[in-house]
Amino acid sequence: MTILQRIKNKVRARSIHVAYVDVGSCNGCDIEVLACLAPRYDIEQYGIFVHNNPREADVLLVIGAYTPGWEEKLAMVWEKIPDPKAAVAIGNCPISGCVFNRRETFIDPPVRKHIPIAAEVPGCPPRPTEILQAILSVRDSVFANWEAEHP
Amino acid sequence: MGFSLIWYLKEFGRTAWIKKFLFAKTAPLTTPSYFRGFPEPTGRICQHALFCMMACPAPGAIEVVHVGKGWMPRIHKGHCIRCGLCVEACPHGVLKSGRILETMEREGTSLVFSFRVVIDPVLCTGCGNCCTSCPVNKVADAQMGAGGHSSNDEVIMKVQAGDVVVIHEEKCTGCKTCEGACPTNAIRIARILEGTQQTVHEGPP
Repeated sequence: MTILQRIKNKVRARSIHVAYVDVGSCNGCDIEVLACLAPRYDIEQYGIFVHNNPREADVLLVIGAYTPGWEEKLAMVWEKIPDPKAAVAIGNCPISGCVFNRRETFIDPPVRKHIPIAAEVPGCPPRPTEILQAILSVRDSVFANWEAEHP
Repeated sequence: MGFSLIWYLKEFGRTAWIKKFLFAKTAPLTTPSYFRGFPEPTGRICQHALFCMMACPAPGAIEVVHVGKGWMPRIHKGHCIRCGLCVEACPHGVLKSGRILETMEREGTSLVFSFRVVIDPVLCTGCGNCCTSCPVNKVADAQMGAGGHSSNDEVIMKVQAGDVVVIHEEKCTGCKTCEGACPTNAIRIARILEGTQQTVHEGPP
């Protein structure tokens, strides 16, 4: 690995742009993602920038239980993100549907049926520290050595 | 002084600044011990009372499964919402989460369960599947046949003149077998959870 590549990997792993998409949640997890931005948890000190534009994003945070309105749109959002990319499911809803997964509801969890999910953060809602930890672990595994693994 | 290149290099080359610039500033935050996490076993023996499964508001979050020779509740992450109701509901203190057990002991609180059997008369076809599938009915009247008819009045519910009649609602244990057996989703078991608190004597008795 050349020195330039090494520098590139290091810099890339320390500048993550995040977009979040709410596919039908109760807003509890949105609030926790918001808390990551606040000074107490301060996601930007790790080089993570919440940009909310899929064309510039590296990590997509998926929040919510996948309502029918998102059937084609979520895949479209996912395709717009340039490689290397990773999706992180935040909260119970994208994993199992949580308390909304009952009879006579129209949700279609888990979200990993629809787009590839790199990490899942259980909790209703998960704590900001857990969200932060998930994004940081994804960062290390997906972005650290991407060009060597995908020549 | 403030005009030479060396002064600038010294000023901006301070290790503390570079550290602040390159690395995270706040120490990694730790979760306090009194936060409710996913329930963990305390080490006491599970008596298979199943109150945790009845109290759980999230579908599929807790199951009591065979572990070795005994039973043990298993929490499914991704379903569990960390409400702590299973910890409160367990009569034997098998699970712990945060300081729920300490608070319950200090304030003398406990949970009381009751169940209500609700049958939608429009959807119900009177097939009697609920009466036949009910395990409490099986104990009360072993003779109950496929139609759900019974001459016994000790059963929870039975079919009378084409309609399901609920007789002993208080005997329901909340297993919801009838809900699964109903072909038209007409029967629902509503769980009623009551919190009780003993009188706390403050000061000398």
